[in-house]
Amino acid sequence: MNTIIRLEDVHHTYQAENSNGIKALQGVTLDIYAGEYVVILGHNGSGKSTLAKHLNALLLPSQGDVWISGEAGPNGAAQTWNTKDKTHLRDIRSSVGMVFQIPDNQLVATIVEEDVAFGPENLGVPHAEILRRVDWSLDRVNMEAFRHRAPHLLSGGQKQRVCIAGTLAMQPRVLVLDEATAMLDPLGRKEVLAVARRMNQEEGVTVVAITHHMEEAIEADRVVVMAEGRVQMQGTPHEVFSQSERLRELQMNTPQVTQLAHALHARYANIPQNLLTVDEFVGEMAKHARPHPASQAPASSPQSPIPDPVIQVQHLGHYYMIDTPLQVKALHDINFEVRKGEIVGVIGHTGSGKSTAIQHLNGLLRPHEGDVIVLGNDLSREDIDMKQLRRRVGLVFQSPEAQLFEHYVGDDIAYGPRNLGLSREEVRERVRQAMEAVGLGFDEFKDRMTFGLSGGQMRRVALAGVLALQPEVLVLDEPTSGLDPFNRSQLLGRILALRDRGVTLVIISHNMDELAQVCDRLCVIADGRTVMQGTPHDVFSRPDELRKLGLDIPQVTDAMHRLGAGTVLTVDEAVQLF
Amino acid sequence: MSQSPTTRPRSTRNEFELLRNVTVGQYIPTGSVVHKLDPRAKIISVFILIFTVVFTKSLIALALLTLLFLGIVLLAKLPVRYVLRGVTLALPILFFISLMRVIFPNTGDDGGKVYFSWLWISVTRASMHLLLMGLIKILAFIFLTSVLTMTATTTEMTHGIELLLKPFERFKVPAHEIALTNMIALRFVPTLAEELERILKAQASRGGDVALRKRQWNPFKAAAAILPMVVPLFINALRRAEDLVLAMESRCYMGGKGRTKFVQFTARPLDYAVPVLAIILLIVVVAIPWPSIHTFVPFLGL
Repeated sequence: MNTIIRLEDVHHTYQAENSNGIKALQGVTLDIYAGEYVVILGHNGSGKSTLAKHLNALLLPSQGDVWISGEAGPNGAAQTWNTKDKTHLRDIRSSVGMVFQIPDNQLVATIVEEDVAFGPENLGVPHAEILRRVDWSLDRVNMEAFRHRAPHLLSGGQKQRVCIAGTLAMQPRVLVLDEATAMLDPLGRKEVLAVARRMNQEEGVTVVAITHHMEEAIEADRVVVMAEGRVQMQGTPHEVFSQSERLRELQMNTPQVTQLAHALHARYANIPQNLLTVDEFVGEMAKHARPHPASQAPASSPQSPIPDPVIQVQHLGHYYMIDTPLQVKALHDINFEVRKGEIVGVIGHTGSGKSTAIQHLNGLLRPHEGDVIVLGNDLSREDIDMKQLRRRVGLVFQSPEAQLFEHYVGDDIAYGPRNLGLSREEVRERVRQAMEAVGLGFDEFKDRMTFGLSGGQMRRVALAGVLALQPEVLVLDEPTSGLDPFNRSQLLGRILALRDRGVTLVIISHNMDELAQVCDRLCVIADGRTVMQGTPHDVFSRPDELRKLGLDIPQVTDAMHRLGAGTVLTVDEAVQLF
Repeated sequence: MSQSPTTRPRSTRNEFELLRNVTVGQYIPTGSVVHKLDPRAKIISVFILIFTVVFTKSLIALALLTLLFLGIVLLAKLPVRYVLRGVTLALPILFFISLMRVIFPNTGDDGGKVYFSWLWISVTRASMHLLLMGLIKILAFIFLTSVLTMTATTTEMTHGIELLLKPFERFKVPAHEIALTNMIALRFVPTLAEELERILKAQASRGGDVALRKRQWNPFKAAAAILPMVVPLFINALRRAEDLVLAMESRCYMGGKGRTKFVQFTARPLDYAVPVLAIILLIVVVAIPWPSIHTFVPFLGL
């Protein structure tokens, strides 16, 4: 096989002002072969993004070398360039195209097709050839129909496909996806992965995908696991995922089916432990006469007194840009109810209106039709005390760390309580409690610099900033998005612990595994309407309807459905049925 | 909750929808002849017409010009009411200008008939004439700029300006850089507006006052109140800028040298005709000795 990228003992140290610098890469030696689909896994801070930026000379090694091979010339010999050689920068960057995490920050033009043309324009490609390449690239990512649109009117997945088209227009030999799916919803993620796979299989483009979503690694030719700036494991997906203990040590997890296979392997030695997909699992189980899962008896919920509703939403309708020529109806008919002490999950893909719906819960938006009653306040009325309501209903936006503004952690968390006009001691006490609730030590963190924290820590500070108001209801929009599996499960644990303190929780999430595990009830929203409601058991027992809405169901639920074992929500539950 | 939603007054106000107030000047696609005009022709023509308005001294000519611009608005199939919304936004300024004109009359004018006089303030025929001229000129400007921004996309304008500035590159005018920075700025306006909206909402959720709404006359308090909105906006904008630099470098951007262009305009006969007509109009308006309005409408000269 032809090596297309060769990394030889690459070290990279970020220069820091005071200390010795941060050693992000500590001796990476890795070959990427032409035509391969390689997935690089690693937790936040493992060095995987630093590695990606070495592949097209955005970063240069502090020690060691990176070599990129060009197209084979007429005499059959391919040119090889060292990334330190500035004279070949254009060759290197047009050979190795890169797509980054946040699609919005990569688009330069106000029209899709002009953005796609940006790369070829920079390369000085003749006009007629640019036209051809723009057509071809947009066609390859299925964005032909959107070529005259403005990028800000596209969904995340569509934007990211435009970014890929912009890279393809340079006709690269390698496509590097640097966490390109991290900020997308499941639908967008699927779209982007489908494009990457198609380019790999049909056009022979080498793909290097950096991610912390295990599911994306399943179909790779090779998986590379990084930690502490080094390559820790590599091999086929089956080889890597069979070592689940080692993966856990590296703060990674395994797909649900793999977890299930592991647990069953311990009990029945004839079940292999390196199963990755639902298909594999179901196929394998069919081979064995036994064990067969017992069909699950419908869970009978214990009859407990039904608590009072704290939120009632009935026939909610909402318009954007109301009374202007650009008026759009965002919500048509939203209905749901949240009772005291419950955890309610809200599901729906991007653009379904779920974010608009939850902004009614603390009066950021007012209902234009229907009723929203929150803690006894009718939100259609002009005369309700908004400040009071917003104190009682905490709302945490997606990526809340983007709203931090104070220099010191303690001051930022104190913003809410100070707005309440509390005394110094009270503010201090509230900040302390809020910090402890999210697992940040008060004395250790209160005087730390906000913007020097890691992403996961900043997210916890932002959450503490809302908790310091001591809300009765907490509404969270995608609380764990963008975090790696380790930080994700830690944060989720902290949020769930709030329920024990009597906080009612409303969680929006794309992560069906999480919702299935923790929610008492789910509300599914599509096109501004509530289309399904009920316990996770009720909702996930209708997989076909969910799929029709472009939504997923947990892997384990899918697998157990197909084995005829009824609706199972977690791996633990599934294991008990065998 | 048995009440019907229609019987009770409801609050529909939205404190946070920022884009709603900036509808003026937005592109309205109607596919008219005016829309299809080459942006370069449009920019040049509008420039010439603005000069025409500035140089007009005759009230009659000005009125005719304004009617002509109204005709162009109709030709472009733009909703006149929507265009006039820009005028209503300008009303406070118009009022202020009028007031200033009356309070501080130009000492140079000969006065003419005096309608009203109190202390140093005197409303004369000349001052009324100037006032009327000023108001109509502003109205004409609004019409003209609206036609331009409502019939040409910002992208077309950017390319138009780049191409028009291209010949001046030899005099060190950075045409490409001006166009690219312009384009990127326009590209990020909606992104940053959304971001600001999200920040305002988040801080409001934390019990903060929506600073943009509440008047605060103490400058220190005002600054302290907007800090929670402005600091994250700037930090995020800088972070986006860093990302954008990486993305542009990855796509081989190394300055304007050796770049080719994807967007190319080919001018049709009409695209040449329109600026020529505008120049003829300029000459006609400035050169013709327009009669005074008073010969036609005597009651104005009471």
